[in-house]
Formats: sequence, C-alpha cells, structure tokens
Amino acid sequence: MSLEKKDEHDHEAWMEEKDLTPVEKTFLVSLMWLDERLRIVDYLELLENLYYKSNLQMPKSHTEQYNLDNKFWYWYPLYSLGFFSTIAYVVAAVSGALLGFYFAPATAGETATAYEQVIYIMTDLNFGYMLRSIHRWSAQVMTAAVFLHMLRVYFTGAYKEPRELNWLIGIVLISLTMVFGYTGYLLPWNQLSFWAGQIGVEMALSIPLIGEWAAQLLFGGFTLGQPTLQRMYILHVFFLPFVVTALIAIHIGIVWMQGIAEPH
Amino acid sequence: MTSPDPTDDNEQGGAREITVPLRLYKAVTVFSTLLAMIGVIVGFILLDSATNRATVALSEVNVPLALAGLAAIVFGGGVYAFATRFQAAGMGNAKDDDDEGSDNG
Repeated sequence: MSLEKKDEHDHEAWMEEKDLTPVEKTFLVSLMWLDERLRIVDYLELLENLYYKSNLQMPKSHTEQYNLDNKFWYWYPLYSLGFFSTIAYVVAAVSGALLGFYFAPATAGETATAYEQVIYIMTDLNFGYMLRSIHRWSAQVMTAAVFLHMLRVYFTGAYKEPRELNWLIGIVLISLTMVFGYTGYLLPWNQLSFWAGQIGVEMALSIPLIGEWAAQLLFGGFTLGQPTLQRMYILHVFFLPFVVTALIAIHIGIVWMQGIAEPH
Repeated sequence: MTSPDPTDDNEQGGAREITVPLRLYKAVTVFSTLLAMIGVIVGFILLDSATNRATVALSEVNVPLALAGLAAIVFGGGVYAFATRFQAAGMGNAKDDDDEGSDNG
C-alpha cells in the first residue's frame, strides 16, 4: 500500500490483470487516448458535482426516503401533462383571438354568415387554414391532456389531503374544458354543429324541473337559431375565457403553494 | 477481487460483461456515445449526398460514397453496442436490477 495518490489515468497495470480480447483492448486504449486529450468527462464531472451541491440543502423527499425511484420514475413524464394542458390552452387562446378577427356569429343569409366566414378563413384568408387548424388541434390536445392529467393525479394519489380543493377545482376545469369544446363546436354552424346543438337542447330539456329554464339560458330557446349561436359565441369568447383563465391561475397557484404531491 | 477469473464474464447469458473502474466507465460511456453519434450522423450525410437526398435514379447513385455512409452508420451502431459490455463495479443491467423487493405487489 502506498501513500501516494493513485493516478486515475494509470490504466496500464489495471488492464494487465484483465483478460481482454485485442478488440476490447484497442477500444479501451483508443477511448483512453481520447479521454486524456479531450477533457469532456472532467467537465461533465464538474457539472455533476455542481448538481449535487445545489441540491444539498434540500430535505429528502418521500420518493427518496422510501427509495420509490426504483420503479416510480416511469411516472415522471406524466407529471408534465398539466403544463402541457396549459400550453395547449395558451395556444388555443392566441389562435382563437386571431380567428376572432374574421369570424361573425350570425345565422343570417341563405348560407349562414358564420359558416361563410369559416369557409372564407379556410379557403381565402392567408394562413387561415393553418390558423383554424392550430385552434382546432390545440383544443383537441387540451381535452386529451387534461383528461390524462386527471388520470395521473388519480393514480399517483396526488388528490389526497391537503390537496382536495385543487382536485375539485380540477373537476370544474375539466368540465369547463368540455363546455369550451362544445361551444366552439357549434360556432361553424354547419350540419355537424347544428345537430350537435339540437342534441344539446334536448339534453338540457331532459333535466327534471329546471330543464326548460336551462335550455332557455344556454341555447336561447327550444329550437336552434340566432340566439343559440350568439350565446355559444359569447360563452366561447367572453364568459369561459375569464372563468377558465381565473380557475387555471388558482389551480396552478395552489400547486405552487402546496408543492408537487409526492407519490402515495 | 481475488477471483481467479479476472474478467467478470457472464458467458452463459451470452452478453460479455467487463467491470472497469468508474472513471474509465465514464470515459467509455461519453466517448463511445459521441463516436456512435458522429458515425451515424456522418453516415446519413454521406448517404444523402450519394443519393442526392434519395432523389436520383438507381444508376446515378454514387455507390462507393453510399457504401461509406452505410459503413459509418454500422460503425456507429457497433461502437455503441460494443461499449455496453463495459460496466462499473456494482452495476448490473438496469432491467434485471431487483435489489429492492417490491412490498406492495
């Protein structure tokens, strides 16, 4: 045993005691040759060291304490779904604001103005096809991401005490996301929209006691017409944006205050 | 290690495993990955230029250049695969790692 510090680069002695094939020996010698000249590993070790030091003051998380990372890391990509939903919402808001310059919520005319405007956006407007596609796709993606986000929260037990309130806000948000989708679905005022609206009116009417009142409030009558489109438009571009944006802010604010839930 | 067999071979599994010092393992990982990436990327660049991005007729393909591209890709893949036999002490294949028993099914 020697007091002299071992030379980390002295691989010769170590290599002798291993039974390496010529290819393996050549491989290792070449990489060691590179390693001595390009000090990439040293710099990476520096970064590694910094990473650990920057985390030194952190308490052990539940995940570390019970060594759950062994298997639990499979879930980590799904922890991005909430942020993904937020991005989709922002993209939909921006593209929707731009679409708002060209859309008109009117049923007047032999072909409804609303439908004419959608056709105009899709065929004549520069980048209109792209703009509406971005709006539609971000809406679809948001609905899917919000649903998967809910599954993640459920299966990792993130809804448990003290996060019950945020779970309830999340339920409201997923419902409002679907209302957002539905009201937007009716806006082109094509056959698909119209009959989806008809289904909506009948669903509203099927509610006991307050059915007629609900149909009046949401659809502006028992048959579809200008009042329906007008209400869908106002819900889609005025009412829901305020409510949903505020709720998302609260939802994220609570996560910020309470921290990301440890897996249960 | 006082084992008479200085290489920690795992011949029965088919995959050869050689335990190397941690610092060397890092060098192997970093540089073999780098070489593999360069090999594959250069290989595709060569293939692209040999076939003008896969647009030229078969007779117009620059065969030596295309073969060089394929060789570079195979070299990159080979280096990457070859490097996996070198492991640091105490490292198993992550997929077979079950030192932590599951206690909740």
